[in-house]
Amino acid sequence: MVDQLPNLGREAEMLATMGMSSMEDLFSDIPEEVRMKGTLPLRGPQSEEEIIADARRLLGSNVALGDRVSFLGAGLYRNYVPASVFQLITRGEFLTSYTPYQPEVSQGMLQAMWEFQTLISELVGLPIANLSLYDGSTAAAEAITCSVRVHGRKATQKNTVYVSELTPPDRLSVMENYCQGAEIQIKMLRHNPDGTVNLSSAQEAAGSCGIYVEQPNPLGVLDGGLPLLKEIVGEHTALIVAVQPISLGLVEAPGAYGADIVVGEGQPLGSPITGGGPIYGIFACSKPYLRLMPGRIVGRSIDVDGKEAYCLTLSTREQHIRRHRATSNICTNETLIALMGAMHMSLLGPEGLHDLAVRNMAACELGKRKISAIAGVSLPHASSHHFQEFVVELPGSASDCLSYLDSVGIVGGFDLARWYADRPNWLLVSFTDQTRANEIELLAAHMEVWASHQGVSA
Amino acid sequence: MSHLFDHHGAPGQGYSQPAPVLPASEISVPSSLVRKQAPRWPRISEPEMVRHYTWLSKRNFGIDTGFYPLGSCTMKHNPRINEVIAQLPGIADIHPHQPEHHLQGLLSIYHEMQHMLEICAGMDQVTLQPVAGAQGEFTAVRCVQEYFRLRGEDQRTKVIVPDSAHGTNPASAAMCGFEIVEIPSRVDGRIDLDALRAVADETTAVMMITNPNTLGLFEADIVEASAIVHGVGGQMYYDGANFNAILGITSPGLMGFDAVHFNLHKTFSQPHGGGGPGSGPIGVKAHLAEFLPGPIVKKRPIMGDESKHAIEDMWYGWYQPTHSIGKVQQWHGNAGAVIRCWAYYRRYGNGLKTMSEHAVLNANYLRHALHREAEAAGVSDMIVDGAETDVAKHEFTISLGPAKESHGISAMDVAKGLLDMGYMAPTVYFPLVVPECMMIEPTETESKETLDTFAEDFAKVLQVDAETLHAAPITTPVRRVDEVYAARNLCLRHPYDD
Repeated sequence: MVDQLPNLGREAEMLATMGMSSMEDLFSDIPEEVRMKGTLPLRGPQSEEEIIADARRLLGSNVALGDRVSFLGAGLYRNYVPASVFQLITRGEFLTSYTPYQPEVSQGMLQAMWEFQTLISELVGLPIANLSLYDGSTAAAEAITCSVRVHGRKATQKNTVYVSELTPPDRLSVMENYCQGAEIQIKMLRHNPDGTVNLSSAQEAAGSCGIYVEQPNPLGVLDGGLPLLKEIVGEHTALIVAVQPISLGLVEAPGAYGADIVVGEGQPLGSPITGGGPIYGIFACSKPYLRLMPGRIVGRSIDVDGKEAYCLTLSTREQHIRRHRATSNICTNETLIALMGAMHMSLLGPEGLHDLAVRNMAACELGKRKISAIAGVSLPHASSHHFQEFVVELPGSASDCLSYLDSVGIVGGFDLARWYADRPNWLLVSFTDQTRANEIELLAAHMEVWASHQGVSA
Repeated sequence: MSHLFDHHGAPGQGYSQPAPVLPASEISVPSSLVRKQAPRWPRISEPEMVRHYTWLSKRNFGIDTGFYPLGSCTMKHNPRINEVIAQLPGIADIHPHQPEHHLQGLLSIYHEMQHMLEICAGMDQVTLQPVAGAQGEFTAVRCVQEYFRLRGEDQRTKVIVPDSAHGTNPASAAMCGFEIVEIPSRVDGRIDLDALRAVADETTAVMMITNPNTLGLFEADIVEASAIVHGVGGQMYYDGANFNAILGITSPGLMGFDAVHFNLHKTFSQPHGGGGPGSGPIGVKAHLAEFLPGPIVKKRPIMGDESKHAIEDMWYGWYQPTHSIGKVQQWHGNAGAVIRCWAYYRRYGNGLKTMSEHAVLNANYLRHALHREAEAAGVSDMIVDGAETDVAKHEFTISLGPAKESHGISAMDVAKGLLDMGYMAPTVYFPLVVPECMMIEPTETESKETLDTFAEDFAKVLQVDAETLHAAPITTPVRRVDEVYAARNLCLRHPYDD
C-alpha cells in the first residue's frame, strides 16, 4: 500500500495548505446517515512478495492446458503467439494510455489501430473494420442489431433476423440480450445432417434484415454452400459471417462471396485464451453499414502543417456524442488485445498466415484419420471438410469419456451436450498449430481403450 | 515516419514455423472456398517489426510517460506485478470450459473478488461477467427489466438520467428498450429533487446516477432521491465510474441503491491499453440476485451435505441464477482483468479507505493549488469553479468560460497548451452542463510535487497569449489534427495503389 501512495505521511502538510486539519474535513459533505462505520471487514494489506506468492499458489492450482495434452477449443484456440508480441505490449506508452482523445499525443496507438483496421480489412475482404468489440459473441450481436438498423425499413420481414441453429447457446444468449431491446425476432436457420446450411431454409431468410452463419461452423465444418447465400437472401438482407481468423489463410475471405458484415473471435491471432478474456471481437463491414456500425474507428488525416496524422473519426455514432441515439453503448473496448493481434498479423505476413492455417488443418486431418479408425467411434460429419475441429460420436456419453481422459492427463475436448441436450454422445475435439502428432496418437489410443470398455458393457 | 505497409520483404519472414504434422497436399478446403487472393499484409522481419512498434509507442502518451489527469477515467499507476501475475499459465492458459476441478484457483479468486466488491458496495451479490463499464450498465438495467417483467410491471418503460450523466447511461438503457427521461441539474451541479419528483411515476423503471457526480461533487440528497424513486416503485442504479472516491467511506448500498456497476479498470487499476480491455462487474441487492448473468461463483458443499466442506475453502462451483437474463459475454468475463484487479485489491485489503482518502486529498489539493497559482500569476479571473463547493471528491471541474470571453482562449486551447508542457490534458467539454469545462482527476498515485508543478504550469499556460495557444501544441509528434478533414476525406485503411 505504502509503495503506491506517494503522499502517505504528508497528509497534514497538504491539508494545512487548504485550511483543513484532518482527512475527515475532506468528507464533510457526506451525510452521517450514509457513512460506513469502522474498518472494511476485509483481509489486511499485502506486500508485492506476498501477493505474487499467493497468486502462484492459487493460479498454480488451476490446470494450465500447456501442462496437459489438450483438445479443448470450441471457440477459443491455443495458437502460438510470438514472444515479441508479449514484450512489446508491456511498453508503458501503449499499456498505460487511455482512449486517444488527444490525438497529438496518441499518434502511436492511433496509427497502430489504423494499421489493424487495414490488416482485418484485407483478411476478411471488406473495406471497413473497427478497432475491436469485446469478443466474438458481442461482435455477432452488434452485427445483428446493425443489420436491423440498416435494413429495417426495406425489409419485408420487419425486425427479423435468421441465425444458424448450431450457434452455441452462450453466444445466442448474448445475441438475445442485445436484440430484445429493439424487439428483434431471432429465427433459426436450419442445417443439413452433414453440418452444412440448409439452403431451402436460407430461402426463408430472404426479405429479413440479416442472416448469421459461421465459417467454419461451431462443429468445425467448412461450408462450401455459404458463397450461395448472398444471392439467395438478396441485397436487402445482410449476410453476416463469423470467422475463425486463422482459417482465412486457406479459406476464401467472406467479403469475396458477398458477406456484408464479418465478425469473429480475434483471439487466435495474438492472444492467449486467458480463461475467455480479455480477448477481442472482430467487426468489419461494407460501405452501406459504415454510418450505423458500432465501435471506434480511426481515420488518417493531416495536422495543421499538412503532416500525416491520425484521429478517431465518425464519432457522431457514439454514446459520448449521440447519447441514447448512439449505434451502441460501447466505450471501453479491447484495443490492447487488438494491438497484439496486429503485431501477430504483421509477423505472419500473407505466407505465414497460410502456413499457420495449414498447420491447424493438418493437425485436424491427422486427428480425423486416427479417431475415425477407432472401433465403435464415428464421425457424423465425416463427408465434410473440417478446419480445426470435428464432432466424434462416441459409444457412450461424452462426459464419461472426458472423465476417463482427464484421469490419464488428457483434456479430451468439449462435451456437446452442453450445447445440444439431445447429443449426449457428441464430443468436439479441437486441434491447433500446437498439437503434436504424438499427442494425437495418445488421444486416439486412450479413446480406443475407453471405447472398448463401452462395448463390453453394451 | 515508419509505415507498416511499406515493408515488402521476402515471403514468410516474420517468424519461422515448424512443419505441419501432415504435408499440405493432404488437406483441402471445398473448391468453392479456396482463397483466391491472399491478404496484402506486410512482409516484415522481427527486428523491423519490433522497431516499428517501438517507434509507434514513442509517439504515444501513457501514465508511465507523465501526469494523466483525465477526469472520469481514474488514470492511476498500474503496478507491474499485476502484469506478471496475468501472464502466469494458471490464468493465461486456462479455458472457461475446463471442468470445475481444473479451475479451483480461478474460482476462489472470483469468489474473493465477488465478496470484496459486495462488501465495498453494500450489495448482496456480484457477477464478474460484464467486460466493460457500459456493459455493466446494460447488464444491470436488463436485470431490473426482467425483475419488473416477472412482477408483471410492464408499464415501467422509462429510465431517468441527470443531464450530467455519462453518455453510456442513456445509451445502455436505450439498448435495453427503455425510453430516456433526462432531468436538468441544479445550477450548483447537484441533482434537482423537484425535477426528479416531477418525472418519477409508476412508469419509472430505473434512475441511473453516479455519486460523486461527474462534477466531482457528492450528492448529499441521494437518500432523498432514492426515496422518491422507491416511492414510485422504481429501482436505483449506481454508475460506479466514480467509485474511487468512496471506498470504505460510504457505499451505494447505504445510499439506497439496488444495483451498481464497477469499472475495475479504473478503481482497481487494470491498465486501459489505449481504449481497453476493461472489466465491468455488477452488484445487486438480494431481490435482483437471481436475475444476474451466470455463472457466478459460490462455495459448494461436498456430497450434498450442507454442513460439511470436505476441503474447506477450496471447493468452488459455478452457479446459474434461477431467472438469469442469460449472458452478455460468451465466456466468464475478462478473467485476466479480474486477476490483475485482485492483485491490486490484495495490496490494500481493508486499507482501501486510505486509497480513496488519498484520491480525494489529491483532488482537493490540486484544486486549491490551481487557484493559488493562478492568483499568484495574476490570471485567476480566467477560471472559475465548474460548480460551487467547499470540497470536491476524487475529481473537480473548472470552467474556462471567463478566459474564452475575455481572451478568446477555450478549454481546448488550454488542453493543447498543457500537451506542450508534457502533460496529458484533462477531460474537456464534459460534463456538458459546465461551459468550457475541464474535468481534472489526479488520482492517489501522484505526489505533492507533481501536483504543485502541474498547478504552476497550468498558470503558465493561462498566461500565454491567445494566438500562441491557438497554434498549440508545437512540441508533440504532430500538431493539431484536422478532425473535420478526417471525417470529410474518409481514409479508414491503407489505400494501397487502388
